Amino acid sequence: MTATRDTFAGLETWQIVLWYSLIVLSVAIFVYGCARLFLKYRRGRGHEKIGNRRERAIRVGKVVFTHAWIRRRDPMAGLGHLLVFYGFMVLFAGTAILAFQDDFANPVLSFDFWHGWFYKFYSLFLDLFGAALVVGLTYFAVKRGILRPFRLRYWRPVEPADALKPMPRRYEAGDWIFLGSLFFLALTGFLLESFRIAADNPSFEVWAPVGWAIGQGFRAIGFEDGAAADARAVDWWVHGVFALFWVSSIPFTKAVHMLAGPAGVAVKDDRAGNRLAPLPAGAKAADVGYAFIDSLLPKHLLDLDACTKCGKCHAACPATATGYPLSPRDLVLDLREVAEGSMGNRAALGIAPEFPDHAQILGTIKPETLWSCMQCMACVEICPVGIEHVPIINQMRRALVEKGDMDNQLQQTLETIYTSGNSFGETSRKRGRWTRELDFDVKDIRTSPAEMLWFVGDYASFDPRNQKASQSLARILRRAGVDFGILYGGEKTAGNDVRRVGEEGLYADLAEENVATISGCSFDRIVTSDPHSFNTLKNEYPQFGGEWDVMHHSQLLLELIESGRLRVKKGLGYRVTYHDPCALGRYNGVYDPPRQVLEALGAELVEMPRNRDNSLCCGAGGGRIWMKELKGDDSPRPSELRIDEAVGLGSIDYFVVACPKDVTMYEDAIKTSGHQGEIELRELSELVWESIT
Amino acid sequence: MKVLVCVKQVAVLGDEVEFTDDERDVDPDYLDFALNEWDSYATEEALRLVEAAGSGEVVVVSVGDEDMEDGMRRCLAMGADRGIRVEAEGRLDPIQVARALAEVVQSESPDLVFAGVQSSDSVQAATGNALAGLLDLPSVAVVTKIDLGDGKATVNRELEGGLVDVVEVDTPAVITIQTGINEPRYATLRAIKQAEEKEIDMRQAGDLGEPGSRVRKMFVPPKGEGAEMLDGGAAEVAQRIKEIVQEKTA
Repeated sequence: MTATRDTFAGLETWQIVLWYSLIVLSVAIFVYGCARLFLKYRRGRGHEKIGNRRERAIRVGKVVFTHAWIRRRDPMAGLGHLLVFYGFMVLFAGTAILAFQDDFANPVLSFDFWHGWFYKFYSLFLDLFGAALVVGLTYFAVKRGILRPFRLRYWRPVEPADALKPMPRRYEAGDWIFLGSLFFLALTGFLLESFRIAADNPSFEVWAPVGWAIGQGFRAIGFEDGAAADARAVDWWVHGVFALFWVSSIPFTKAVHMLAGPAGVAVKDDRAGNRLAPLPAGAKAADVGYAFIDSLLPKHLLDLDACTKCGKCHAACPATATGYPLSPRDLVLDLREVAEGSMGNRAALGIAPEFPDHAQILGTIKPETLWSCMQCMACVEICPVGIEHVPIINQMRRALVEKGDMDNQLQQTLETIYTSGNSFGETSRKRGRWTRELDFDVKDIRTSPAEMLWFVGDYASFDPRNQKASQSLARILRRAGVDFGILYGGEKTAGNDVRRVGEEGLYADLAEENVATISGCSFDRIVTSDPHSFNTLKNEYPQFGGEWDVMHHSQLLLELIESGRLRVKKGLGYRVTYHDPCALGRYNGVYDPPRQVLEALGAELVEMPRNRDNSLCCGAGGGRIWMKELKGDDSPRPSELRIDEAVGLGSIDYFVVACPKDVTMYEDAIKTSGHQGEIELRELSELVWESIT
Repeated sequence: MKVLVCVKQVAVLGDEVEFTDDERDVDPDYLDFALNEWDSYATEEALRLVEAAGSGEVVVVSVGDEDMEDGMRRCLAMGADRGIRVEAEGRLDPIQVARALAEVVQSESPDLVFAGVQSSDSVQAATGNALAGLLDLPSVAVVTKIDLGDGKATVNRELEGGLVDVVEVDTPAVITIQTGINEPRYATLRAIKQAEEKEIDMRQAGDLGEPGSRVRKMFVPPKGEGAEMLDGGAAEVAQRIKEIVQEKTA
């Protein structure tokens, strides 16, 4: 007996015709759904040039086939998804091969390859991957039903808008339907194979071991021959029709992530968040930011559909963790409901909750939700499908700022920055005041050329605690013989956080003034101890014509130590932990230099559980340091949570930071979290100075 | 509904001050400039009244040199329709400013004239009231609420000790606006830049007459006797306070 099987065994011609008609119908519905998705994205405003297509294609291939982004911080979930993904893909490929054989190779080319050894390996392959699919699905069911991790629960830190109140229940139902439908497909598939084996008992089907075992089981209980053949005939239609139904439903259900997910990965901007978009030239009030659902960039509308509700952003977000009315996951889901209900498939099918065409989103998404964001990038960084939450939130904030919908503390700060050029409201002549404590003069780089232009930034210039760190750094640079100067009163706040607040006009003004001032100076490189200034000078000032070699002081310190210009006189021997500033780590990937410096100083570095890319924001970012408190009364602040985490490591001498805002936030948090005396804060420069003197 | 709002770009002092050589003013190097805080409330109130009326115009007026226009732009960015600047050089006293404003009010015949209660730099609280006097219009000062009626307005006046005086006033009237009457809207820098397209009509001042007062001398008052500044850390300061209290109460 030749090893093969007849796809349409026992079917009448009209049944085969019906089958092909159903395929056409299924594909037509699928294409309709996809076309509507595409039309929805086209309703988005503006466009972003998607360059580097080759690199993007490679990235998609890598991310999809290795699950590099999916398995992060939860390797078991990654493995589960890998089993489901490859199981599904191999079964899909198997069906495609069969269709190719039955509908093209055999009838057109008279090339019949689906038998003999090919058939045996085909059977084995599909059987094993089918089993992998079932194992993966079972793991997911256990995860959702029994393990129930925080990220998969639809608990919300903020009540959704009225129209969206039923959604969490529907999501839960949708997740189980999606899981159940895949399970049902796998089950009916295996049964189909087993019924056939029970009926015909072909010896070569031992190559399909799972189906073989079940089929032999059927035979053992006397379920064989005619009865099994009848069951097979019924199951053929059940499995086939359900599979076609399932394919047609892809654009309408959670399965859409199979399309939108890889697309989201493809269009994701590598530099999303660290380099925000300027306003279009001559923008009128209505052109500013995302006030309506169709103000979103097409790719951001696509992002909304890519979301699988995996909740990794929900688990990583410092705002969600500390009782702020924001979850990046819920924000994306709510925006998706508005997009779907106003111009997507759901609107076309008239399924509630519907939203008006050109729907206003600033009511559905509450202002306090948007103001809760610290723009720390934890969500963007961990999203397995490349959603750009931070730029989306930033655009919505721009629309809020345009409407003047912000708390008066923030409004006053922006007005202060507008009038004085810094967030402290100090006169510009006081900016260089901290240098008076030094026993040497610091060059005014506006008049004296120097090797290094030190852009000091607001906090390091004006805040008394931070001035001490600035003085340490100045002494270190002098000791190392670095020729440096500062801008004194010519420096204005760099504007990184003004931009992240969403006051783009003020940011552009600050950037233009700083670029003009810096361009008039003579220097080789720029250094700053402020990661926020570092980010915007390095990544965003080029938009305003300022392209320089910009480094963070941790990088410069490492360079000075490695080149021997700084010599460590005494090993410090302290047990320390290091907090990665968002704007340095996640924004710019500078994780190692501060750690290498600490190592060179002889400190014992103990990592906190959340370190490097998973670092927890101090709560100051995105302009939050200028706003009223929005968190729940009984939640700790992010900074307090962080100090708890550091103290939990046990006998840590110093909590080391490399960001002026961190100095301010954590000096405060050490006191308010009740850990005073248990841990002390040091800015990196302060430890370096201690070790070289 | 037409509201005319008198606004001023005021000088903001840092904590370091030097005076001009004639000792009659602060050296401008030590000053920042900003829209007078009271005037942003006055502008907001005018915008709200006109918005509530459904139609009308908010006109902002300043007296001074071109630098005044920065403050006016901010009001225009908030939504005021146009500006009028009466060109004037040098330092004017409130009576002279009121004379310049009076000419504008007469040519514009607004339904209401708003001014801030005072300017934060010279703090004389005189311009609005002087303007009402020159125009022979009714005036109410330090207003925290306005209900507009037909040909009249009911307004709340802030008095000492948290008391409120409810006054009915015929319009047109001059009203000086107190901070806190509303929450002034934010003018984005984008809007401020685009406000440059809005018209600011420049007019030459007529005869502003003699000032009612002149600055003779400006200085930082010497520290009074009997104050002792305690330096040092918190513990030292606390110790010293303890000693002083013990000395005085012994």
